[in-house]
Amino acid sequence: MERHNSPALASHSQVIEVNIDIDPDRGTSSFPPISNPSPTSNNKACRGGTCDLSYSKDSPERWDSMRKLVIAVVLCIVFMTVEVIGGIKANSLAILTDAAHLLSDVAAFMISLFSLWAAGWEATPRQSYGFFRIEILGALVSIQMIWLLAGILVYEAIVRLIHDNGEVKGFLMFAVSAFGLVVNIIMALLLGHDHGHGHGHGHDHGHGHGHGHGHGHEHTHDHGHSHGHEHMHGHGHEHEHEDQEHDHDHEANTITTKHHHGHSHNNDMKESLIKKGNKKPKRNINVHSAYLHVLGDSIQSIGVMVGGAVIWYKPEWKIIDLICTLIFSVIVLLTTIKMLRNILEVLMESTPREIDATQLEKGLCAMDGVVAIHELHIWAITVGKVLLACHVTIAPDADADRVLDEVIGYIRRDFNISHVTIQIERQ
Amino acid sequence: MQEKKDAMFSYQFPDGDRRLAFSRQSSFRHSHWDPPLPSPSSTPIPLMPRSHSFKPHLARSDSAVGLPLLDNSGHKDATWVALILAPVRGVANGSRPMKRLALMISLNVAYSMVELLLGLFTGRVGLVSDAFHLTFGCGILTFSLFAMGISRKKPDETYTYGYKRLEVLAAFTNALFLLFLSFSLAVEALHAFMQDESEHKHYLIVSAVTNLLVNLLGVWFFRSYARVNIVYWKPEDMNYHSVCLHVLADSIRSAGLILASWFLTLGVENAEVLCLGIVSVAVFMLVLPLFKATGSILLQIAPSNIHPSAFNKCSRQIASLEEVLEVSQARFWELVPGYSIGSLSVQVKKGVHEDRILQHVNGLYNDLGIQDLTVQIDYE
Repeated sequence: MERHNSPALASHSQVIEVNIDIDPDRGTSSFPPISNPSPTSNNKACRGGTCDLSYSKDSPERWDSMRKLVIAVVLCIVFMTVEVIGGIKANSLAILTDAAHLLSDVAAFMISLFSLWAAGWEATPRQSYGFFRIEILGALVSIQMIWLLAGILVYEAIVRLIHDNGEVKGFLMFAVSAFGLVVNIIMALLLGHDHGHGHGHGHDHGHGHGHGHGHGHEHTHDHGHSHGHEHMHGHGHEHEHEDQEHDHDHEANTITTKHHHGHSHNNDMKESLIKKGNKKPKRNINVHSAYLHVLGDSIQSIGVMVGGAVIWYKPEWKIIDLICTLIFSVIVLLTTIKMLRNILEVLMESTPREIDATQLEKGLCAMDGVVAIHELHIWAITVGKVLLACHVTIAPDADADRVLDEVIGYIRRDFNISHVTIQIERQ
Repeated sequence: MQEKKDAMFSYQFPDGDRRLAFSRQSSFRHSHWDPPLPSPSSTPIPLMPRSHSFKPHLARSDSAVGLPLLDNSGHKDATWVALILAPVRGVANGSRPMKRLALMISLNVAYSMVELLLGLFTGRVGLVSDAFHLTFGCGILTFSLFAMGISRKKPDETYTYGYKRLEVLAAFTNALFLLFLSFSLAVEALHAFMQDESEHKHYLIVSAVTNLLVNLLGVWFFRSYARVNIVYWKPEDMNYHSVCLHVLADSIRSAGLILASWFLTLGVENAEVLCLGIVSVAVFMLVLPLFKATGSILLQIAPSNIHPSAFNKCSRQIASLEEVLEVSQARFWELVPGYSIGSLSVQVKKGVHEDRILQHVNGLYNDLGIQDLTVQIDYE
């Protein structure tokens, strides 16, 4: 992102050239003040700096999330050292394996922390959209690790099945995984549902969501519902979660009915924007992916606990252990599917779910002077930061400037998309 | 009003006036609920032409985004049989690499099933772990296969840029898996170092040899991609490269295991640690360039095949035009290797006709290799 002033702007007799050194790595992204600030700076073009493509350094949300994650990391490391020492002393492989799982938790937290930190870097010419994408990739790596761990646990269950009695002590398994479960629950509470207040500690006792206690599939749905707002990062814009599912059925009847609603729907949305503005809590995707990791671990701990109890009580019924582990691993995988879908959509540069592209197009076409819209692309840098680019064909006699202003204003107001690039073409 | 609409209509499907890069697209307005029209321009223009080397061209006869028509094979029947047959049909109609990959995946799956059952019934843990490993790898390869199949779909309303990105994503997942693999091999080496016992038993050798053979077959299929540093011309390149590296890494691992057990029989101490360590490092070095390349595309980094000074030069050239006051917010990114997209904002003096500027700017950036450019012209 750099600007070049043409010599025509300078009112002096000499030519004033602004040379900006581009350092391909991170270098100068804050621009030297230009001697002749353009008198036309209206808010159509985004002047200077990074215009919202990176967290400002003192964003409270960022610090809050970072603090939570740091506390979680420290706790995790403490517990892990305890387990490692205990495991070496008792010479038990089971305890060491659990310590390894905690290590994976630490890795996931580190990834999230790094993503959060990286999001604060300013955009460079090479990385012109800022560093928000890192959190998406970090979440992807995190989820792959969850899957890997689920596979490893299933493998361990099979190994337990094969190896006959001597090496498996049911009681030990039970105790270790109970300890791991407690640790994970503490961390889930720490990272968990934060309704937009600046809670540093997060010992929110009011949250009787039944974390991890064997609600199995319904637990997934519970989270499914409350995760509806994870898309709404920093937007006041919202659709009800149920509607989301309908919006993106690519069926012709859904599309045509939308067109009947047209203008009136627009008004409704404006009102709902104002009303429900900031009530939806924002959850940071990094904290959320760390939370998912911890949740998955606690579900698996339950599975191992059940298996351990079974083996302890009736050592012959080993197959139940395997079945339990399999079931719980599947449950863990199910919890990750929603986030995986979001990640996939962002990485595929698809239209974000919360933006209704058909309506946007309809609204634009209905504007004065606009003849047609083509090459409309709406995509997201990360969940919540949306960009738009399109070509607008206007009538030959229309005022390009005015139409541009209107279009940008409309998109900003109604859809809260701030990074808009419109190419106006005359017919 | 009707004539105006007709005039618009013919404008949207232009026979002439294809000089202008920005006038080739059909409007979304006209394409959704009309049945797919036989447009005057012969065939739906795909997102990427299927020519083998997609170099940036000066002729602007290729559109940036294909006409958003429905998929021709309209699978409206949601019966289970159709769902299961769909991937089979997809592979059968697919390209040659797809078929080869499908063959390899089925071989691997069959082999790992056999291994798993054998391991379960005879109680050998090593076989089971190997089977798990293979299954994971097969899962990732299946994702690559799926990406190959689905990437030919035309762009639609939600995926306005098409499905080609999935290939890059599949390549990234492969690379990630290989990184995990190298890490786990390192852990295994450490484990063997600390435990100081030899875990190799003879049945594992048979399995390793078979594994090696199957993977060498895969390397042979994708032999043109068996290099570490490749210049990517098309998105499929990345996918094929990642598949090739995957089987290559697997075969190196099997070879390492075979070597280790041979050294052990020769009496070399710590052979296992050495071999596993070397294999781990080798896989890591193999995968790193691919990981970086796919990662940088997914992170929206500026196109790597274009030097940053070229962007500067273009900016300056535009700014040096008489009517132009300022060029700002120039951002570029790569959708897939070979296809770059950008947007920028140009401040011009009042009353300037935008056509000329648009043409000029588009021409400049097209020469650089940016296929899809959106230029916002702000009047002073």
